[in-house]
Amino acid sequence: MMHAQQIALIGNPNTGKTSLFNSLTGSYEYVGNWSGVTVEKKVGIIKKQLGELIDLPGIYTISPISKDEGVVTDFLLQDSFTDILNIVDASQLKRNLQLTVQLLELGKPMVIGLNMTDVAKLRGIKIDYQCLSSSLGIPVMPIVARTGKGCKDLINYFKENEKKTIHPLTLDYGPVVESAIGRITSLLTAYNVQHKRWMALQILEGNNRILSQIKGFSHLQELEQICSQTESELLNKNIAQTLQQHIHHIREAYIDSLLNSSVSISKQSMPTLTDQVDRIVTHKLLGIPIFLGLMFLMFMLTFDWLGFPLSDLLDAFFTGPLTDAIESFLQVIGASAFIEALVLNGIVSGVGGVLVFIPQIFILFFFLSLLEDSGYMARVAVVMDRLMEGIGLNGKAFIPLIIGFGCNVPGVMAARTIEQPKERMLTIMLTPFMSCSARLPVYALFVGAFFAKYQALVVLSLYLLGIFVALIVAKVMSSTTYKNEKSLFIMELPPYRLPQVRTLWRSTWEKGKGFIRKAGTYIFGGSVLIWFLSYAGPSGFAVDMNDSFLALIGGLIAPILIPLGFGTWQAAASLLTGFLAKEVVVATMSIIYFVPEAQLQGFMVEQFSPLSAYGFMVFVLLYVPCLATVAVIKKESHSKKWMFLSIAYGLSIAYILVLIIYQVGKLVGLA
Amino acid sequence: MNLTELAQGEKAHVRDFSAVSKIVQRRLVQLGVKENEEICLKRKLPFGGPCMIETCGLCISIRLDEAMRIEVRK
Repeated sequence: MMHAQQIALIGNPNTGKTSLFNSLTGSYEYVGNWSGVTVEKKVGIIKKQLGELIDLPGIYTISPISKDEGVVTDFLLQDSFTDILNIVDASQLKRNLQLTVQLLELGKPMVIGLNMTDVAKLRGIKIDYQCLSSSLGIPVMPIVARTGKGCKDLINYFKENEKKTIHPLTLDYGPVVESAIGRITSLLTAYNVQHKRWMALQILEGNNRILSQIKGFSHLQELEQICSQTESELLNKNIAQTLQQHIHHIREAYIDSLLNSSVSISKQSMPTLTDQVDRIVTHKLLGIPIFLGLMFLMFMLTFDWLGFPLSDLLDAFFTGPLTDAIESFLQVIGASAFIEALVLNGIVSGVGGVLVFIPQIFILFFFLSLLEDSGYMARVAVVMDRLMEGIGLNGKAFIPLIIGFGCNVPGVMAARTIEQPKERMLTIMLTPFMSCSARLPVYALFVGAFFAKYQALVVLSLYLLGIFVALIVAKVMSSTTYKNEKSLFIMELPPYRLPQVRTLWRSTWEKGKGFIRKAGTYIFGGSVLIWFLSYAGPSGFAVDMNDSFLALIGGLIAPILIPLGFGTWQAAASLLTGFLAKEVVVATMSIIYFVPEAQLQGFMVEQFSPLSAYGFMVFVLLYVPCLATVAVIKKESHSKKWMFLSIAYGLSIAYILVLIIYQVGKLVGLA
Repeated sequence: MNLTELAQGEKAHVRDFSAVSKIVQRRLVQLGVKENEEICLKRKLPFGGPCMIETCGLCISIRLDEAMRIEVRK
């Protein structure tokens, strides 16, 4: 359905943009509190079906530095939208209005949502909304997006929104720049483009994204000449050092005149809570130990203290009452033996074997959301920067890696906020080594069978191994392929905000539901297929599993895996299916070893030793990114080469490392 | 003197930051850093790690070598 209004939501990072998006659309959106968490264009339907709201990445100015910021330039010139909703942080007006001025220069219908008016009031900032609104010539609505205050008024505004034409704001940038603008606009008349003055200004500011939006542009040389001439003229006349600075100053003068008439500040500064917390979490000596301690706490809660008992309960329910109930139901309706085997041995054990990990996965996602929403994640980036610099990356790259613990796909996408192309590519390639939640079921199955006493420790060792391998790969790649590019780091640290229960639950659910959806689609389909392959063989149906198609396929690969200690067709077949999604490894094993829970461990002990079980887990950790991750790597790197590379080196690192672990382990008598 | 020579928590005014690498410089301008603006060195992390600075009511983290290229006056 096409809506009458398409409203673009634009604002600086950390201004509560995503909170506002959620309040206005009532949809389940993902909320973040570190610069650039909104890495994709998201669309929601405004309450009362008033129109579409388009969430864009947070930017300080239109002219992009990192990749996600370029999205906004493209959007403003390409996509059709009727209105702009500019969210502005009332406590940071001066900086926020820089973007507002650029949007006003475009001349699209616009309304300002003045957010965090409560924070501004606390800091003694008094704003005359009426005055600000009449000087800007557009409506200004005070809101508090976190609590939803004032959002009703915004919705009402869009309800009664009558279209009126808006004239672009025109500032006088002084004779030097104005003449350059004139020359560029006359160049642009040769092309069929709108907003020529705006484009000219953006080009002068260094927004090279503009040019890619003009079809068949051929005046690149003239443009570069105009820009460099103007810049040197500014320098010679002692007006400004760079074009960017000059344009920034003119806008700032305009903003100052606005604020003089509409804002009064009663100055009072006292150490905020953020300062006090920062003193501890970024402490000289305690910073890294505190971070590691928090991670340890997160793992213990997820695997040992809380997650494991809950999973056990769920498992008891699936294998006990649920299976019995389905079995008697199938008997009542008189299902054939084939259907009964399909449902009980295929679907219930395959899908159920994965679903029992829901508690663990939700607990993990809850903590990741807590880290993001509170603002601590940005501090982690600062604390880890020194270490990351050593391997040719910066602290910001650590955030996609942590997100990768939840799922590699958003991790790879979050790399967009990294400014340097080299560091971005590296981060993308490293993320698959982060042990995502889909690998958890595999570990849980094996540690339950072989390392019952040291579950959390063994799992923690796998997570650390993943990080360790990633760091080594980064070091090798940054000192070979990319040795000429310098690593950079700059990061805004937003104030801490106490996450609200509602927001936390929303983002946990948003991430976790993907897991449940996968169980209903991929894993369901995969389970049926795998069960069928194990049920049928060259000689017909209901064959012994060792004569099935699955055994045949697995048997082809198994010899390669013998040096690794798990050269059985069962292991080979599960690894093969794990490419679909890592959870499928468990679904496959549950089907292959279809035996009551009590016997499963005995069964696995026949096939694996503790050493080869550990090797198998390491292999699953590293071997190939899942299908979804491979697809997103290709999309983000725009190259098949990198995609195949990520598969190839994953496989070879996994093979070599597990070979070493198994062979050395055998030598020292661990087998 | 440069920014890193300030004591922890000490304030000064930016004199010149044109020696900072281009991308970081652009970001600093966007975040509100400019000549004559008040700037406070809040914390330096150990082992030559990044430092945290505050300007215009905003906390920013940059690397030590970049901070050394920001000239300030008390």
